[in-house]
Formats: sequence, C-alpha cells, structure tokens
Amino acid sequence: MITQLILGGILLGGVYALMAIGLTLIFGVMRIVNFAHGEFVMCGMYIAFFLYSTLQIGPYYAILIVTPLMFAIGWLLNEILIKRLIGAEHVTQIFVTVGLSMMLTSGALMIFSGNFLRVQTPMTTKALDIGGGILVGLPQLIAFVISMIVSAFMFVFLKRTMIGKAIRATTQNRMSSTLMGVDIKKVYAFTFAIGTALTGLSAALLMPMYPVFPTIGVNFVLMTFVVVVMGGLGSIPGALLGGLIIGVIETISAYYIDPGWKQAVYFSVFILLLVFRPQGFFGQIGAEEL
Amino acid sequence: MKNKLLDIPKTYYFFGILFLLAVFVQGDFILDIITMTFIWAALASAWNISGGYAGQFSLGHAGFLGVGAYTSTLLYINFEVSPWFGMILGGIIAALFALLIGVLCFRLKGPFYTLATIAFAELVFISSTQLRDITNGSMGLQIPFETGFINFVFEDANTYAILSFILMFVVFLISSYIKNSKIGYYLIAMREDPDAASSLGINIKFLKLFATSLSAFLTAICGTFLVQYILFIEPANFLMLSISIKIAMIAIVGGMNLPIGPVLGAILLTPLELLLRGYTSEIAGLHLFIFGLILLLVVLVQPKGLAEISWFKNKKVLRWNGVKQNETKRDIA
Repeated sequence: MITQLILGGILLGGVYALMAIGLTLIFGVMRIVNFAHGEFVMCGMYIAFFLYSTLQIGPYYAILIVTPLMFAIGWLLNEILIKRLIGAEHVTQIFVTVGLSMMLTSGALMIFSGNFLRVQTPMTTKALDIGGGILVGLPQLIAFVISMIVSAFMFVFLKRTMIGKAIRATTQNRMSSTLMGVDIKKVYAFTFAIGTALTGLSAALLMPMYPVFPTIGVNFVLMTFVVVVMGGLGSIPGALLGGLIIGVIETISAYYIDPGWKQAVYFSVFILLLVFRPQGFFGQIGAEEL
Repeated sequence: MKNKLLDIPKTYYFFGILFLLAVFVQGDFILDIITMTFIWAALASAWNISGGYAGQFSLGHAGFLGVGAYTSTLLYINFEVSPWFGMILGGIIAALFALLIGVLCFRLKGPFYTLATIAFAELVFISSTQLRDITNGSMGLQIPFETGFINFVFEDANTYAILSFILMFVVFLISSYIKNSKIGYYLIAMREDPDAASSLGINIKFLKLFATSLSAFLTAICGTFLVQYILFIEPANFLMLSISIKIAMIAIVGGMNLPIGPVLGAILLTPLELLLRGYTSEIAGLHLFIFGLILLLVVLVQPKGLAEISWFKNKKVLRWNGVKQNETKRDIA
C-alpha cells in the first residue's frame, strides 16, 4: 500500500513541479510573487475544456495549442501590466496580481458559471498494473512523463542557450547583467511568458484528472508556493524535488489522516519551512528577503 | 476668541452625519447597507493598524474574523455565555494567534509574510470545516433569534446600525490615536526602513507583535458583531481568502496612511458591492470582477489610496488626520 501511495504521490508531484518551475522562474528573475499563477492554470484548463467540447481535441493534443496560447497571453500581460511592477512598492507588487486573480476567477464564473466541468476520454479511467498489484493511472503516468521531459528540457534550455544564460544571469545579478548587455526587458517578458506557458501545459495535463471550476486556482497557487519555497526560490531542481515531496505528502496524508486535512498538512509544513529554512533546499540565502 | 464649534475637528462632523444616518434612516435594504459599511469600515481600520502603518500586508485576517465569530457563537449556543463576553474572549484568542504568527514569521518580509498569513487563515478554514462535531462543518451554525441586549440580538435594524457605528468609531479612534502616538511614528519608521529604525533603538519585534495582536483583537471583535448581525456562520462566509482580500482591499483603496482612509474605502466599496450584488444577481461574479479591477487600478495608479488624492485632500474633512490635532505634525511617510 505504501509503495502505491508513494508512487501515486510522485506521479502527482510531477505536474506540481511543472507549475512550480514557472512560478520559481518568474520569481527568480523578476522578483515578483505572482498570486495569479493558479488562475493561469485555471484559464489553461478552461481553454483545454473548450477545445475538447467544441472541436473534439483531446487534452493531450490540446497541449500544442494551449501552451503557445498561454505563452502569448503571458507576453501580453507582461507588456500591459506585469512590467510595471518591477521595482514597485510591495503593496503594488502584491495586490496587482491579487486583483488580477480576482478578475480571472470572477470572469470564469461569469462565462462558465460555477459548475464542475470535466473531460471524459476513454483514457481517463485506464490504469496499468505495473507488477506487485500496484496500479498506476494512465493519465497520471502520461502527465508525469511529459512533466519530467519538459522539466529536463527547461533545465538544459537554461544551461545551454543564450537566452537561458541571460535568464540565469539576471537571476544572479540584475545590475551586472544589464551592464553586460543583456536586454533585461526582453528577459523579463520571455520569463513571464515561459512561466505562463508552463501553467498552460500543466493545465492540459491535469484536465483528464481533475474537473475545472472557477475557484480551482486558489488550491493550485497555495500549493505551488509551498513547492517553490520548499525547493528554494528561483531553483529548478528545487522546484522539481519540492513538487515530488508535496505530491507524496499529499497522497500519504490523504490516506492516513483524512482527505479533508491534506491541505492542512502541507500548510503546516509551509509555515514551518518559512520559519526554519526560508531559503528552501537549493535557494540562495537571503533570496526571500527580496 | 474663536467660535467653540469650529474647534471641533471636521472629522467629528463627518462621523456625526454618519451617526445621524444610522439613527434616522428607515428601510431594510438601506439600513443593511449602512450597517455593513460600518462593520467593514471597522474591519479595514483594524487591518490598517498592522497592514497600513506597520506595512505587514496580511491576507489572513479572515482567520481572526472567524476565530472571533466562532468563539462567541459557540460559547453562546453551547453554554449560553453572552456574546458580549464571548466577544472579548474571542478577541483575546485571536490576539494570541496573532502573537504566535508574529513570533513565527517575525523575519518574513513583503510577499512572504502575506503568504504565511494566507496559510494560517487556510488552516483555520480547514479546521472549521473538518471539526464537524464542534462547528457543524460547512453546514454552518444558526444563532437563535431571541432578542435582548444580553443576547446581542435586536429586533430593530437601527439598533444594529447604531452599534456598528459605535464599533467603527471606536476602532477609528484607536487607529488614529496610534497613528499620532509615539508607537505610530515607530511603526511607520519601521515600515520605511526596519534596519534604520532598529539602529535608532526601536524595538521592532515588540512593535510588530503589538500591531498584529491589536489588529487581530479588533478584527475578532468585528467578527462577533458581524455574526450577531447576520445570525449565521459558516466557513464560506467568514473564513474564505476572498474575505481577507476584501478587508485588505478596502483599506488599500481608501488609503493606508490616514486613519480615515479605511472608513472612506468602506463607504465607497461596500455599498457598491451590495448594490451590484442586489441588482446584477443574474451575472454571478460581476461585483468581484469590478472589485478586482478597482484594486488593480488603484494600486497601480494611486498606491497611497484614494484618501490622498488631492481632490479629497482639499476637502477639509479629510485633511485632519488624528485625534491630537497638531498642525506642525506632518505625515512623515
């Protein structure tokens, strides 16, 4: 049983890690805490649902549409709104994205009403027996594999490409990278768009597993913050590890304690982390001080 | 000799008008708007003590609100304790929670403090839905309609309006007293530059704890007022994150640096919300959309809040910013 739970948790955690990588990138580069990150996932899920219900495009094919679309939305939002927040006062930095998340949630409520919408494909209920009586849901497995491939791709992208290097340089020192000729505005726009595109990708991967409803974003945003703080702000390996750990904590506490309490467990972990190790596993010390 | 009446600060006239509204206005809907406006003004003023002056942007005040409301309600329903007494006890419990959070999150700044307070409020929310034996879970608790002063239940809607006016006025007085006292200056100094404030001998830890616990105490008291007014409590209408956001939003939109700011914010936003909810009920979520837009625009364009727009500043009512009227004192922030 415990193997089954841990495996389930890891598979779930893969998708969490993907969302968290987006958030941690945005934070690391722009020093902006994006409270609307979960609402972006919600938007992505609605787009995936819309594509399925009108054009019969399955969620896995929808990845190819949702991800670029969310990239464009992220770029646009950065141009209109987010770039004004860099270096702004705390109150502006926090409450602009809080206001944005209110608008997205209520906008979804106005368009789609509060019903739970889900995508039912033949694949959603399929489970594989991987030996020893351990069952693995097919959507979970696909989501995990794709998440891991994309995370590895992101890691290589940041290490090897020129824009990736510019992003990492900006994370380390904004001033020096400007002096070295990094076009910092482009880096910001690109980072925010990538972070948003990753929420679109995770949304499409989540769609076969979860129903979508307007307030689903809150659950994701808080969970993602727990992951990001756990892994260390701005660290991709940290987000990956944090995501897997939170996934495992979630399935185990849901089984042994009570599904209703599972969030309480990771919020407690979160508060303890903020108190005792605010820099997380791989974070730079002092990064949380902004 | 000046006329005695002119010596009374203009703000008292402003509050005098509000009091007359609470006493003389008739009609259920409009009295509901007035009462709710006063309660939200009190809540936002309480938030402002830690959020505005000390710069600790809490999005967990719904937790304190719920703690206060649940404490007095549970004591009243189960042990027949008067809500007036339960209110004080609820306030003390909320203040203790705030002390705990303050000690744990002392080092956290900016968005991280905000995140920790959200996590705290979510813990209270989850506990209240899960401890069904005590709180009746998401079904909520009904307060019996037995009128009387001891029971804090009244037949007459004007009584509620007057009581909530008193609540608002008391919280406002506390808030403006703090703003103009030494503690207020310390708090603002700490918000602007904690290291410099600390090096000048200000005890930052004590100040933060003081501001958050006082704010939590007052918020919990507002919680009891709110639950005694609507006579029903469930986690969804007291403890949701959206409630925390609304409390903070009223203070921010109104203006965090002036004691009158949160009151102004409530007067602008609460009637707007109730009217939108009343007249556009077929479009669920419209009022939240508009609120999100207002919040976003205000913090982008006028992060100091509407009370500091020059048009409002020129109105004499708002130029006065404290109990101790002192022309030479200028807002140092």
